[in-house]
Amino acid sequence: MREHEPLWREEFSIFKANERYVSRRQLAKFLTLGSAAMFAGNLWILARSWLRKAPHYARRAVARAGEIPVGGVKLFQYPNPGEQCIMVRTAEDTYVAYSQKCTHLSCAVYYSREHDRLECPCHQGYFSILDGSVLQGPPTRPLPKVVLERQGDQLIAVKMEPEV
Amino acid sequence: MPWHTDPRQGRGLTAIDAVTALIVLLLVVQIWLLSVTLDTFLAGHTETALPAAIASGVLCAVCFALYRFARRVDREARSLLPGDAGRTSERQPQP
Amino acid sequence: MFGYEFYVDPSRCIGCQSCVKACEECETHRGHSMINFDFIDRSETIGTAAFVCWHCDDPTCAQVCPADAIKKGEDGIVQSALKPRCIACSNCVYACPFGIPKIIPEYEQMMKCDMCYDRTSVGKRPMCATVCPSQALSYVRPEDIVRRREKPTNVFYFGNQRVTTQVYMMTPPGADSVTADITEFMWEKADA
Repeated sequence: MREHEPLWREEFSIFKANERYVSRRQLAKFLTLGSAAMFAGNLWILARSWLRKAPHYARRAVARAGEIPVGGVKLFQYPNPGEQCIMVRTAEDTYVAYSQKCTHLSCAVYYSREHDRLECPCHQGYFSILDGSVLQGPPTRPLPKVVLERQGDQLIAVKMEPEV
Repeated sequence: MPWHTDPRQGRGLTAIDAVTALIVLLLVVQIWLLSVTLDTFLAGHTETALPAAIASGVLCAVCFALYRFARRVDREARSLLPGDAGRTSERQPQP
Repeated sequence: MFGYEFYVDPSRCIGCQSCVKACEECETHRGHSMINFDFIDRSETIGTAAFVCWHCDDPTCAQVCPADAIKKGEDGIVQSALKPRCIACSNCVYACPFGIPKIIPEYEQMMKCDMCYDRTSVGKRPMCATVCPSQALSYVRPEDIVRRREKPTNVFYFGNQRVTTQVYMMTPPGADSVTADITEFMWEKADA
């Protein structure tokens, strides 16, 4: 069996044929580490999914019925300050609300009365006003929906769907 | 035959090229898998996290096995060199 | 390459130095010949020998280069030092058992015979072998060299170092290697 050569002599070989081996070997090593990194990413997501507690949503009154006209829009913050949501009165007695953060790159979506949908101006991602699903554009996930309850003339935000 | 005309050297390089290409393929699959897993997790479907992690782990293990194979081919090909030139580089134990 | 091998037979050298002049004409090192031309013992004999780089299988010059400038290609040719890397430290000059590498101080560069790589890589003969009138330096197929009385060998012993080369030395029949003890050529001999 041959003796072991020092690593420097192997990496800086005097034989051109070996130089190609070394660069290929380094590439293969780099790619394998990349593969390990991807696996680590998946493990991180798994850990996040296991360690997540069921979120507790506070009930909060966010608007009064009749406050906005039909086709009108109100912005409010739910469940925490800083998390912007958008409410749209789509009909006389129908109110829907969604998180305003576009699921693509978090630009603020706005309501387009002309097209009756939520539109993101950054990359033209369009969401359905009925359930927040993606109509078109780069976003892949639907807009998180704010579940509203009507109590008298108060509109109460109950929870988010899906739970974020 | 003189080492510089030995076809086994060329075959070793071809084998390593093939292994590298395979690793790239599996890596691309893993990247896609990670992006999809993240997307579904953020959309609230946490049930995909475990199967995806297992699949990613299997792909990673295959990549490692391929890499170890490439190292072995590399070591064997370089052992064809004459004299001192073909020695491999496992680190020597400290005296 | 292409089935040809280089054979050196110092006993055939007539000292015309055609090889020196032909090598000198190469564009890449015009004016500097890469032939190592020796007068064996000028006060005693008219004998001469012309040597080229032996392109060792495990080149000592490359092993000792601190700048990793000397490389041996897949076709077995040991190239001159790479210009961006060579620092003209002369380590290779000291290390080569055959004394082949030359330092050109004006260029701060080591240069040596590279078997006329621009010619041999496309199937032509090196210049020295082309012009040598006695074919002391010859670049022929192995089946042509067997017609000579001398036999080629490429194994050399320098003390404890065993060197195998790509270029062959013609030796008397029966000698299968060449042993060189440098102390035999020194004026001062070690005390016996």
